[in-house]
Amino acid sequence: MIVSKMALASVLSSECADFSLDFRQPFGFNCGPGQSGADCDAAPGDSVSFSVKNPMLAGDDDGVERKIEFLHGTTTLAFKFEHGVIVAVDSRATAGSYIASQTVKKVIEINPYLLGTMAGGAADCSFWERLLARQCRIYELRNKERISVAAASKLLANMVYQYKGMGLSMGTMVCGWDKRGPGLYYVDSEGNRVCGDLFAVGSGSMYAYGVMDSGLRQDLTVDEACELGRRAIYQATFRDAYSGGQVNLYHVHSGGWTRISQEDVLMLHQKYKDQA
Amino acid sequence: MATLAVRRAPLGGFSFENCKRNSILESEANKVGFSVPTARKTGTTICGVVFKDGIVLGADTRATEGMVVADKNCSKIHYISPNIYCCGAGTAADTEMTTQIISSNLELHALSTGRQPRVATANRMLKQMLFRYQGYIGAALVLGGVDCNGPHLYSIYPHGSTDKLPYVTMGSGSLAAMAVFEDRYKTGMEEEEAKQLVRDAIAAGIFNDLGSGSNIDLCVITKGNVDYIRPHDEANKKGVRHGELEGVQLTGDYRYKRGTTAVLSKVVNPLDLELLEETVQTMDTS
Amino acid sequence: MLSAQNFGESGKMKEYHYAGPTEHRFSPYAFNGGTVLAVAGEDFAIVASDTRLSEGYSIHSRDSPKCYKLTDTTVLGCSGFHGDCLTLTKIIDARLKMYKHSNNKTMTSGAIAAMLSTILYSRRFFPYYVYNIIGGLDEQGKGAVYSFDPVGSYQRDTYKAGGSASAMLQPLLDNQIGFKNMEGVEHVPLTKDKAVQLVKDVFVSAAERDVYTGDALRICIVTKEGIEEQNIPLRKD
Repeated sequence: MIVSKMALASVLSSECADFSLDFRQPFGFNCGPGQSGADCDAAPGDSVSFSVKNPMLAGDDDGVERKIEFLHGTTTLAFKFEHGVIVAVDSRATAGSYIASQTVKKVIEINPYLLGTMAGGAADCSFWERLLARQCRIYELRNKERISVAAASKLLANMVYQYKGMGLSMGTMVCGWDKRGPGLYYVDSEGNRVCGDLFAVGSGSMYAYGVMDSGLRQDLTVDEACELGRRAIYQATFRDAYSGGQVNLYHVHSGGWTRISQEDVLMLHQKYKDQA
Repeated sequence: MATLAVRRAPLGGFSFENCKRNSILESEANKVGFSVPTARKTGTTICGVVFKDGIVLGADTRATEGMVVADKNCSKIHYISPNIYCCGAGTAADTEMTTQIISSNLELHALSTGRQPRVATANRMLKQMLFRYQGYIGAALVLGGVDCNGPHLYSIYPHGSTDKLPYVTMGSGSLAAMAVFEDRYKTGMEEEEAKQLVRDAIAAGIFNDLGSGSNIDLCVITKGNVDYIRPHDEANKKGVRHGELEGVQLTGDYRYKRGTTAVLSKVVNPLDLELLEETVQTMDTS
Repeated sequence: MLSAQNFGESGKMKEYHYAGPTEHRFSPYAFNGGTVLAVAGEDFAIVASDTRLSEGYSIHSRDSPKCYKLTDTTVLGCSGFHGDCLTLTKIIDARLKMYKHSNNKTMTSGAIAAMLSTILYSRRFFPYYVYNIIGGLDEQGKGAVYSFDPVGSYQRDTYKAGGSASAMLQPLLDNQIGFKNMEGVEHVPLTKDKAVQLVKDVFVSAAERDVYTGDALRICIVTKEGIEEQNIPLRKD
């Protein structure tokens, strides 16, 4: 089911008069400090890393930062293996060089068998994935069966694609379990929607990939897989200044998702230091 | 080029060697979202008045970096010569160096002529230097002093233009200070009256301009006497925190307990010392 | 007057050297400074803000608190662009009334936070330039703080600073309330007296260094008995 109106406007119709179809009002865009946010410069070509760059950075001529800073910077990771999907994320939110929070929940629990991750604009991810949760529930009620991961991810991709080029910044992984087994899709605000076995998104993704590529096997046990995901995020937080806080770990299996652990990276640092 | 620069002793004055490199670096840095370091500017209130037998100069003491207070008690009234002082606003380094250069040159001039330097001389030297650099030396000055021709007060703009007036203000708080002067300035004031007027003008700048703050410095120059009062007045008392108020520590104790900081590694280097046995004998003082 | 112009342009003196085309554009935003802070305890919440309203180098008002009482158990701290603060609080107030009339009960802090998030996101492409922090009591009567970014990302915290001096306040709160990065410290629960004292102290310090914070401090203490207000003077320069 595709909404005919712009999805955001339909949800928020009561919020404000100026967000209906004629959103191209005189100073809706390219005005004031918000304008720098309007052009998200994650180049479509370099989609290998899927990193969502920070469009908020731009020098001010008197050196005083007076821009609207949104929350950015992340390492998120999800991979498929024999027993389902492991989702691991950090918990740091940064606005420029300021750490806005160390306790962000970057795994969004869409419903008991679907998870989404948060990278890019925090508000964009949480809003659209909450909207996705609503759409998924409506699908369930209409069709008397759970939505597949493929369909859910496509709903999300279609919703944000309508706003392409308007400055949305979102790089998310939709993870779940359906009739076809474990499902893992990467969806971003540029319109990408890719099915895969392993994704890492965010500024620390390269470090996470490094760890994953050296340890990922199909026949990992659940414990081994959890440990690998945890280690990958830990290594990313160790090298990437924009990632940190805690490592949140989820396991998606045939019965839905379970939350495995939440560990402070400082504790992990101690643990891994002794091991090495 | 490189070898030349190494062999030759550095000449005095400004070096423009890195201008081109810096502008390239700046444009590159802006692309990735960094900004190059900027000079510290003093959002400032400075002013001066002529009174019956001299000059009163005044300045606030706040230095800012962006919108953060960098120095709560900086000195903005600079020495030029024993009978001339100068308040500076604008780029902190520029005002500091400019006044030092002129002070040095004026001292040499005084030694070669054997006379006390005149305010007009200092003014001319300053404006010629600033004009030469076309405003790139960001110094806005209030120059005042007493010489053989009596008291003189000048304001000097970064581009090199100057005004000779009985009362002047400069800096971001100049409008607030000028409002006080326009209201209450009279010709031929007494010293105490002039000091109070300058204090109030600076206080107006301190309270109404965010770039100015903290204390009020004054410098009273009369014939044969200089009274550099720093600080003359504290316009604002710092907020009193709890512990300081009560004299007892109820909650406002922010000190760490011993052992709070994690010890990551510990290295003990034994010192190789010779231990000498020494006994102390009490001196007989009876 | 020459000096006034030059200092306004951050001392760059463009008007003399710049010969190319210039663009004049209306900016719908301004930054009016101000700092807000919220702390949650076991059975109370504190929302505090300074009362200075400024723009550029000048002060518009010395008595413009940024704490807005929403319900008997919820206070909103709101700083950034004052125009957007006013509009936003007006919209929230209207929505609270609508909710009350249609549901015959007042909104809880959590519900207000969720609503504020969607209100903020509704202006995703022309955002409210406002840093919001909600302090209040939740359904169990426990203290709750919700912090927002300008486009509506939000989460529940136990303490949070926002606005111009947030980067100065937050580290001390991390140390004193969060006991971050310390070994062998006792994690004592926060008492109301200690929290109020801490709030006063951090604002006294912030007023020393942040030019946009000063004049006075308004503290709203939310308990089940109601909202108690305190006013404490700060530096005025």
